Amino acid sequence: MRATATTPMSGSFQGVNDLKLIGRQVRYEQLSFWLNPIGAILTIGFSTVFLLIFESTAGKSTVKALGGIKLIQYYVPGFVAYGIMSSCFSILSITIVNRREMGLLKRLRLSPAPTWILMSAVFINTMILCVIQIVLMLAVGRAFGVHGPANWVPFLLALVVGIFGFTALGMGVSTLVPNADAAGPVVNIVFFVVLAFSGLYYPITPGSTLANITDYLPVRRLIVSLQDSFNYIPGTSPWAWHNLGVIAIWGAGGVFLTLRRWQWAPRRG
Amino acid sequence: MPAVSVSHLAKSYGDVDAVKDVTFEVEKGEVFALLGPNGAGKTTTIEILEGFRDRSGGAVQTLGVDPSNRATQRWLRTRIGVVLQELAVEPFYSVRQVLTRNAGYYPSPRPVDEVIELIGLKEKADQRVKRLSGGQQRRLDVGLGIIGNPELLFLDEPTTGLDPSGRRASWDLIRQLAASGTTVLLTTHYMDEVEALADKVAVLFRAEIVASGTPTSIGGRDSGTVTIQFSLPEGVSVSDVPVPAPRVVDGIVRTSTDDELRVLHELTGWAIDHGHVLPGLAVTRVSLEDIYLNLTRAEQ
Repeated sequence: MRATATTPMSGSFQGVNDLKLIGRQVRYEQLSFWLNPIGAILTIGFSTVFLLIFESTAGKSTVKALGGIKLIQYYVPGFVAYGIMSSCFSILSITIVNRREMGLLKRLRLSPAPTWILMSAVFINTMILCVIQIVLMLAVGRAFGVHGPANWVPFLLALVVGIFGFTALGMGVSTLVPNADAAGPVVNIVFFVVLAFSGLYYPITPGSTLANITDYLPVRRLIVSLQDSFNYIPGTSPWAWHNLGVIAIWGAGGVFLTLRRWQWAPRRG
Repeated sequence: MPAVSVSHLAKSYGDVDAVKDVTFEVEKGEVFALLGPNGAGKTTTIEILEGFRDRSGGAVQTLGVDPSNRATQRWLRTRIGVVLQELAVEPFYSVRQVLTRNAGYYPSPRPVDEVIELIGLKEKADQRVKRLSGGQQRRLDVGLGIIGNPELLFLDEPTTGLDPSGRRASWDLIRQLAASGTTVLLTTHYMDEVEALADKVAVLFRAEIVASGTPTSIGGRDSGTVTIQFSLPEGVSVSDVPVPAPRVVDGIVRTSTDDELRVLHELTGWAIDHGHVLPGLAVTRVSLEDIYLNLTRAEQ
């Protein structure tokens, strides 16, 4: 026979420390990711392979609009942006939809672990994956003679705003996807189409029609923010407040969607 | 104080009533079954009791607290266990890893090895969840429900999809839990499960409770008509047999009566006096399934 219930209480309870629980939950999030090594390597390595392919085709090409820098110098901050968007937006939203539809979110919700701990662990895990991708991009760039960032503080600020903005957006988009089957196609089609028109693969001339359209999107704003701080262009400012503002507005939209539409139970739409 | 107390519970989605005016109590240590067809409101009811879903009306107490009260929700969740209707286990963890992770959410969980033993997965403890059979995954699901050493266990259709031996193993586990003092509230649409496990049962149909009681008495089962049947002895005409309104089909005589003691007395006395045996003599009370079908058919 077990001990019977004592007086109900709120907040923490004896025996389970919230901070330890976050650390433990992050470890299990990481374990879950790495226990599928093929998926993990493809997820993490995709951006690296992508960058290597672009580097091999770039040759000695330069970008006139950015003061004649080498094309690989242009690609590295772009692929750092890609790493952020891939981890925080694409992988996160697909993971959330899959967990929701498998009933895993519902099971966690019914456990005594508080929601904020569970969600913090998901975010921290996302950030770890994101940082791994960023470090890989910078290391690959360094191996090919890329120098930078020219301005570390604005660069780090852009990373932080990008991580939070796209994490919020990823959470928000997950609430719009009706089922697990749709998660991959919906998220990836939107992601890669927007990337293609936002200057990841080739420079877009500021003021062009394409630039004017994609300027409204957070993808281009993050790529430009990281470009401006990574590559020093004489006569320009590394501080891209307006770009970060646009990312923050999209992030706020993601938060709004999450708060309005979040569901723990499978939707089976 | 009962483990669960539900009074005039209501839950609606727009104009649709998922549950209306549902009232029942589950005593501590009892196995209580909510029986009903798909869409009757069973899952909605237990989700409200778990604090997963808010109610639209009525009063609910789970282990003495309102499950929708955010201030005591975490306390409540350390004392309840939940087995969901559908499998919900991460595919890449091993059995031991997923149980160890979930044990960490509770202040005084059951030892992981004990749970692995209880659910019969000792040989599979280090195997990945995705490599388990459907039945083994279902047992792991039950393991996750009991890892926190709950006082009250909610089982939402725990044996759906299991083969007969898997069902029996689950029943044995539920009996063990009940014997150790765990209160169990289960939903099912299997009559044999109710008869094998439940101390009390309520039939939920179209969002309402249409009958409740013990499995042997629900719907007047213990006091209703019984059927007496036997094979007609050779050389005997059915008109000679002293039973009221006999029906003969393929040589089997059947009669229905509310007074089985008197009818049996007269029938067996007559058989002894005339030197007849009555092959296949059986007395059958109306089955739980008959009661259930009558209750739900009458409402249609």
